[in-house]
Amino acid sequence: MTNEITTRRIVIDPVTRIEGHSKITITLDEAGEVANARFHVTQFRGFERMVHGRPVHEMPSLMARICGICPVSHLIAASKAVDAIMAVTPPPAALRLRRLMNLAQIVQSHALSFFHLSSPDLLFGFDADPAKRHLYGLLAEHPQFARDGIALRRFGQHVIELLGGKRIHPAWIVPGGVASPLTAEVRDEIAGGLPEAIESVVRALDWYKASLAGWAEEEAVWGTTPTAFLGLVTPDGEVEHYDGVLRAIGPDGTVIHDEIAPDDVERCVGEAVEPWSYLKSSYLTALGHPEGIYRVGPLARLNIADRMGTPRADEELAELRERLGRYPSSSFHYHYTRLVETLSCLERMAHLLQHPEVTDVRVRATAGINRAEGVGVAEAPRGTLMHHYVVDDGGLVQHANLIIATGQNNLAMNAGVKQVAQRYVRADRLTEGMLNRVEAVIRCYDPCLSCSTHAVGEMPFHVQLRGPAGEVLDELVR
Amino acid sequence: MAGLPKLAVWKFSSCDGCQLSLLHCEDELLPLLGRIEIAYFPEATRTELDGPYDVSLVEGSVTTPEEAERIEAVRDRSEVLVAIGACATTGGIQALRNSADVDELARVVYAHPEYLDTLETSSPISAHVEVDHEIQGCPISRGQLLDTLLAILTGRRPNLPQSSVCMECKMLGTPCLMVTSGIGCLGPVTQAGCGALCPSYDRGCFGCYGPKELPNTAALAGRWSELGIPADAVARAFRTFTGNAPAFREESDRHG
Ligand code: SF4
Ligand code: SF4
Repeated sequence: MTNEITTRRIVIDPVTRIEGHSKITITLDEAGEVANARFHVTQFRGFERMVHGRPVHEMPSLMARICGICPVSHLIAASKAVDAIMAVTPPPAALRLRRLMNLAQIVQSHALSFFHLSSPDLLFGFDADPAKRHLYGLLAEHPQFARDGIALRRFGQHVIELLGGKRIHPAWIVPGGVASPLTAEVRDEIAGGLPEAIESVVRALDWYKASLAGWAEEEAVWGTTPTAFLGLVTPDGEVEHYDGVLRAIGPDGTVIHDEIAPDDVERCVGEAVEPWSYLKSSYLTALGHPEGIYRVGPLARLNIADRMGTPRADEELAELRERLGRYPSSSFHYHYTRLVETLSCLERMAHLLQHPEVTDVRVRATAGINRAEGVGVAEAPRGTLMHHYVVDDGGLVQHANLIIATGQNNLAMNAGVKQVAQRYVRADRLTEGMLNRVEAVIRCYDPCLSCSTHAVGEMPFHVQLRGPAGEVLDELVR
Repeated sequence: MAGLPKLAVWKFSSCDGCQLSLLHCEDELLPLLGRIEIAYFPEATRTELDGPYDVSLVEGSVTTPEEAERIEAVRDRSEVLVAIGACATTGGIQALRNSADVDELARVVYAHPEYLDTLETSSPISAHVEVDHEIQGCPISRGQLLDTLLAILTGRRPNLPQSSVCMECKMLGTPCLMVTSGIGCLGPVTQAGCGALCPSYDRGCFGCYGPKELPNTAALAGRWSELGIPADAVARAFRTFTGNAPAFREESDRHG
């Protein structure tokens, strides 16, 4: 650990919440330059141990409670792991319905991230008055834009609720399939909402592209550390969120891993534990720690894939690559890739709903415990998610291991925070603009936070600038 | 209340699902916005608590020494304090660890447990400070949240249900799972609010809304045994999302 007596620290506490609580510490060296910046996670709930001794069939419902923002991702990864333990393949209709709910969740989560959390900074500027830099400020000044965001998120949530009965922690994705089939009425209701949802993303994309030139500085300093990228792709190289194979590429597109079965993810990914955070930091074992730094999530998914696999999103992807190059590296481009991916998810939902099989009433396979071990992998809104369980003969969980998106982005997030801090933090003073940018670089990754905060108010901040003996030199609270 | 009443939202150890339920009240919330000023404090430190607040919604349970201190500060600054969700009202799913050895738990999850600063147990807000209203559920229902807010604003009593999930099944016309299929269900002892969601998918209720008032858990556990459900399964069933609620914990302890 850094010697805290001889260095000076700036503590931003709290910065935001990632699956709970977190804060940032910026360490200055004797010359007053930024030596390091760290993003800490300080909440501890201990799911991996808490589930020991519980029946494996309960895992989807229990694990969903890890996160109220992406519970569907945990339901899916957990259910897939239990499918493997039962040695069953869910019926085809069930697979389509699980995909449908997963896509709906990605749409609502991306809408929340882009419109509710990040767009106020993008529209009003990073130095704008925090009193209006939130969703309700948008409603006043950019009503169409804000309404698009609210409507898009509500659409995703509504689909989840139509399918699962509630928006948060629906108990509908179950081992072996889903709990109930899709009726023709619900199918038509979802399909009926898609064109409008697609138009709102297209409007946002058009605005984003027209504004892109104005963010050259952000693009240049926000997390441009070269990293590898990891995610799922279909065997023929399309973006994939539910099944497929793992692919990892280097910053320039060099293939590090390809066609890795999802069960093998733990072979490719190592987890380091840093003394300063409860969040584990993942790295690619092929490259070691910390050289194996990599990113997951929309930017990674688009970079590793050859194409989106849906017509309108593929046009957008071609344009994105024309503007940014084949392998954009700046984490600022999480925003752009998130929008293109949202469009693609909506197109895929339409496609899924057109399949005659989607309303088939056979949606669940049942079985007992047929294997002692199972791994479930899926793409969550923020990146690749893995659940791995080992059970005893009676099906009680003996061991559980999770790899979550935010842990995989952890090293890159730290590098991004450091880069922004080095650019904006000056030893003798703290500015609001600096805080906003540090906060915003973290938002690019959309770490699993309870984003509701930013929708209505600004993020509370407490920054301290400390001298060599630990005395407070400057303090900023908002 | 001078000016608009001020509402604050606080987060302790939780998944954020309950706070999000507030955000999900979008349509209903917009009219409320003219009547209430919302100040969110996801993880405020002592220096920035400000206040006072007319209403504080508290999500999450207390699991660290820092949280134990912070909840006192929140109470001091709040006229009305409402605990929202299974975490805040019972200790939540993370209270599962209350029966485990915390040191061992930390070692399994975290390679450097010496840096963990955590309490032995996950406890509800009411174990630390006085709570004015509790909204149960994992997550809470939007309807109950809005009703409680409106009740506080207009000075009436919130209309929180006294009945069980069973009653909701009856109202929906869902046939009883225990009677028709012999499936173990916690509906008879679980507070209404979810609309009997799980039974409508042929799943027994697993009690995520927590115990109803005066639940007859012993009678239900007896019925489960008659259905052939082993004691350890009965014990586990009562020890899930709201297993630290006294009525459920005591019943659970009786079975293993
Ligand atoms: S009660 Fe359930 S939904 Fe609410 S915060 Fe706790 S785990 Fe999340
Ligand atoms: S577990 Fe019980 S209370 Fe919770 S949603 Fe299901 S039926 Fe409702």
